[in-house]
Amino acid sequence: MMLRDLRLAWRLLLRDWRAGELRILLLALIIAVTATTTIGMFTDRLQRAMVEQSAELLGGDLLLQSPREIEAAWQARAAELGLAEALVLEFPSAVLHDDEMQLSGVKAVDERYPLRGQLRVSRSPYGEEERVDQIPAPGEAWVEARLLTLLGMALGETIELGESHLEVTRVLTFEPSAGGGFFAMAPRVMVNQAILDEAQLIQPGSRIAYQYLFAGEDAALQSFQQWLRPQLEPSHRLLDIREGQPTVGAALERAEQYLGLASLVAVLLAGVAIAMGARRYAERHFDMVAVLRCLGSGQQRILALFLPQLLWLGLLGSLVGIALAWGAQSALFYLLREMLPATLPAPGWAPLLMGLATGLIVLAGFALPPVLRLRSVPALRVLRRELAPMPLRGWLVYGVAVITLALLMWRYTGSAILTAAVMGGAAVALLLLGSGAALLLRLSRLLHRRVGVAWSYGFNNLWRRPLLSISQILAFGLTLMAMTLIALVRGDLLDTWQAQLPPDTHNHFVVNILPHQQQDFAAYLSERDIDSSPIYPLVRGRLAKVAGEPLGDRIQPGDEGAGAVYREMNLTWTDTLPSTNRITAGQWWPEGGPEDPMVVSMEQGLAERLGVSLGDVLTFSFGPQQLEVRVSSLRSVQWDSFQPNFFMIFPEQALAGQPATYMTSFHLGQPQRGELGPMVRQFPSITVVDLERMMDQVRSILDQVTLAVEFVLLFVLLAGFAVLYAALQSSLDERLHEGALLRTLGASRRQLRSGHLAEYGLLGALAGLLAALGSELVALTLYAQVFDLSYRFNWQVWLLLPAMGALLIGLAGFYGTRRVVAYSPLRVLRGL
Amino acid sequence: MSTHPLSENTIVAAQGLGKQVTTAAGELTILQAVELDIARGESVAIVGASGSGKSTLLGLLAGLDLPTQGRIRLAGEWLDELDEDGRARLRGEQVGFVFQSFQLLPSLTALENVMLPLELAGVDKAAAPAATLLERVGLGARLDHYPKQLSGGEQQRVAIARAFAIEPAVLFADEPTGNLDAATGGRIIELLFSLNAEQGTTLVLVTHDDHLAERCDRAIRLDAGRIVA
Ligand SMILES: Nc1ncnc2c1ncn2[C@@H]1O[C@H](COP(=O)(O)OP(=O)(O)O)[C@@H](O)[C@H]1O
Ligand SMILES: [Mg+2]
Repeated sequence: MMLRDLRLAWRLLLRDWRAGELRILLLALIIAVTATTTIGMFTDRLQRAMVEQSAELLGGDLLLQSPREIEAAWQARAAELGLAEALVLEFPSAVLHDDEMQLSGVKAVDERYPLRGQLRVSRSPYGEEERVDQIPAPGEAWVEARLLTLLGMALGETIELGESHLEVTRVLTFEPSAGGGFFAMAPRVMVNQAILDEAQLIQPGSRIAYQYLFAGEDAALQSFQQWLRPQLEPSHRLLDIREGQPTVGAALERAEQYLGLASLVAVLLAGVAIAMGARRYAERHFDMVAVLRCLGSGQQRILALFLPQLLWLGLLGSLVGIALAWGAQSALFYLLREMLPATLPAPGWAPLLMGLATGLIVLAGFALPPVLRLRSVPALRVLRRELAPMPLRGWLVYGVAVITLALLMWRYTGSAILTAAVMGGAAVALLLLGSGAALLLRLSRLLHRRVGVAWSYGFNNLWRRPLLSISQILAFGLTLMAMTLIALVRGDLLDTWQAQLPPDTHNHFVVNILPHQQQDFAAYLSERDIDSSPIYPLVRGRLAKVAGEPLGDRIQPGDEGAGAVYREMNLTWTDTLPSTNRITAGQWWPEGGPEDPMVVSMEQGLAERLGVSLGDVLTFSFGPQQLEVRVSSLRSVQWDSFQPNFFMIFPEQALAGQPATYMTSFHLGQPQRGELGPMVRQFPSITVVDLERMMDQVRSILDQVTLAVEFVLLFVLLAGFAVLYAALQSSLDERLHEGALLRTLGASRRQLRSGHLAEYGLLGALAGLLAALGSELVALTLYAQVFDLSYRFNWQVWLLLPAMGALLIGLAGFYGTRRVVAYSPLRVLRGL
Repeated sequence: MSTHPLSENTIVAAQGLGKQVTTAAGELTILQAVELDIARGESVAIVGASGSGKSTLLGLLAGLDLPTQGRIRLAGEWLDELDEDGRARLRGEQVGFVFQSFQLLPSLTALENVMLPLELAGVDKAAAPAATLLERVGLGARLDHYPKQLSGGEQQRVAIARAFAIEPAVLFADEPTGNLDAATGGRIIELLFSLNAEQGTTLVLVTHDDHLAERCDRAIRLDAGRIVA
């Protein structure tokens, strides 16, 4: 029996297919699967590419920095989890050539370095760059070009480092894990770890950073991090690729959220299309089921005949969708190959499986309820056509759909809280919008007396079935709203990213400006029209106590951010609040300094982590000397601004007498790059750090993210149009029938046509109005809660959406109902 | 409950049959105290004015709906002792239908429409007998046509072929000629009666056409839900 029913179900499906009954349903399903799978595959690949790029900056997937060697147990744990490991030692050291000496940042690497990415070197200063897989041989050193300038030497000559003599064989142009802090500012020298003993560079008490690089599978990395974090001490720093690059990290995170949200919207829209298609499908099968029941099929049998059809349809739609998605993303990567990294990770299987699952889940969630309803079509319908099955119990339909959505949403956003918030918000919004639609419909009745016969026939169509009209306005409105939202968020995200790294972003930092050079240096920059930030003094000091308590008590183990202050901090003084900072509590002091100079302005994030509030007393130590100051204000700092940023800012009087050097940042355009050589020669003590390459990398990542966002928008729009199409189709059947009747009763073609135009136009305008209201409300919350963007009122939306809705839906409806007058009424009435 | 014994030969019987429905205007009695006894092979016409309850009675006799009073016995089984699925099974095995509005499935061809009851009954090679039947009703050349490509009379002939496909014990027909012109209707009637004779089927026919009623062995006249003759 089972097998026979399966075969019969298959034949019924084929017959339906041939008769064109399945098109909308299948189309909606294919769009849902294609959209989500393409987005899934595209973002998966792109994300992996971006992660690889970020990992390249870090030299591995994870970096643990420690002031001494780490416990063997930690390394054992990493090995156990299958993580690759490499060790990099960083320390400052004097480099000599002839009589010249320069303090440099030395990086001693082992054969395994780098775990991710490649070293880039050139064979002449500022010469052509090449990627290499080796590290310097034990007798060699690779150095930055500016060290050659500073020491007045050429490639092939020898430097002295500690007790060893090394031949400089390559110019270092890019080094993964150009890591931490102060050493990074000095000119860079890379050597092989094998020389360290001979060179006798490492003495007890030397300032060395041990950087352990790890790389491996995501899961292993995660469990390693989880295992490790609780054991870390404040002096340890654990960086993963996000924390290593705050700008990229923030952009990635927002992009991920956006893409997740957008694919969710695509699923949601396609789900609505599927629900509508399935309802129409079910309704068009009422007669068939009634006949089947007359012919002897029981309720179980009806399900046995229809559920497999649904399953096959689901599989077919999903497979086609997946195939299309595969093609779409390949084509896309091909088109965009110029903008993307040369080697891209291959598409993974996970998004494909996810696409298949999405297809089946969406179909089950949205199409199952109407199809289940077929079971209860009464056989008596063959005699009394008006007999339809009991309407679905609301909780069943909505329950299944809501659970489906929640599951998908949770899967796509990975956040239970976000899911709950969005679902709750959506429920409230649906209620509000539903009543809004009802109200709009009522208000639109005021038009009644002002329009002609044909128009009032069209409008009457809407008012005669208020429930149906409200649900259509809601469906169209929600669709337009979702499309608008995704477009709005996209625009604002892109603007934010573009604003993050404008072309004149400071791409050089200068430190070690000596106090007596400060004036001259400022003059030097302004004479050459070089855009720079103010020159800040740098005083090295340590935060010792907070409100009398030793700092150690305040730091959570493994809190790298707070742990950073355990080391020496860069303190500064100024009377002018830096332009990228904002006071969030207390008050900034006036020009000329505060009356009581013993105050400090503290960065608010650090204050939160250390539990410091306004008015607390902090104790700083400068060698043996101690300084007590009161926190007079808290500041928010834009860390990704590429300008000097400080945790602690003092009035000048508070730090008077502490030894200081000065620093600044500036922008050098491509043609001005030649200025660097003369600048270093005129101010030999300074250290210039070039960030251009790093910023290029960041920019290219942002470009890719932007691309992903644009692409996703396209699919959301596609899914939106699928909904519009499905919704129109399901209202067309009725219009066709009614129109044919009216024509037999003597209505003219023109009357009917303008009636339909009026009806769908009004429907579209009302939906557009609703969409404008809804998208403004949602944007308001979404921006603040999820994307961390600032919201602005979009008045254009209020004009554009109703107009677009009227035009789009009016024309589509007009086009769709053309059959009413194209064919003879008889043909329509006979059920074409 | 039964008051008089049923003869061996009875295929459809109704005892004290009544049907009320609740409408917005209150309780509405559609059928009342209907007693009926139809013998195997007999042809019976149910006649009466429009709205007199003919279709309702047919639906009850065929087990498509349940009465409010009384009992029905169809092909040896008491309908009230079966559940909905049981009645469906009984229909599938013993009953054929022809309707005023044809009730062909628009997405199926003529052949597939006739194959459907056979396929539901689990007949493996349903196409051959279905094609034979369609030839028998004169549509051998139209097997692959969809209902909307056929005229009303042709559609009703497909419906008749479908009804006879399972060789039912009883055929219920609700105004089979109601949507057709007189000449076409006449040919449909001929077809019905000749197939009826070939297969020895019992025929229960609702009509308000007195000519048609006269061709039956017996006519039952309904007036406002009661049998009057
Ligand atoms: N379920 C029902 N609800 C309300 N009225 C009904 C229902 N079924 C039948 N009727 C009414 O009962 C009367 C008889 O119907 P029907 O049996 O279809 O008559 P006939 O087939 O003789 O024209 C009609 O007036 C019809 O409207
Ligand atoms: Mg009737």
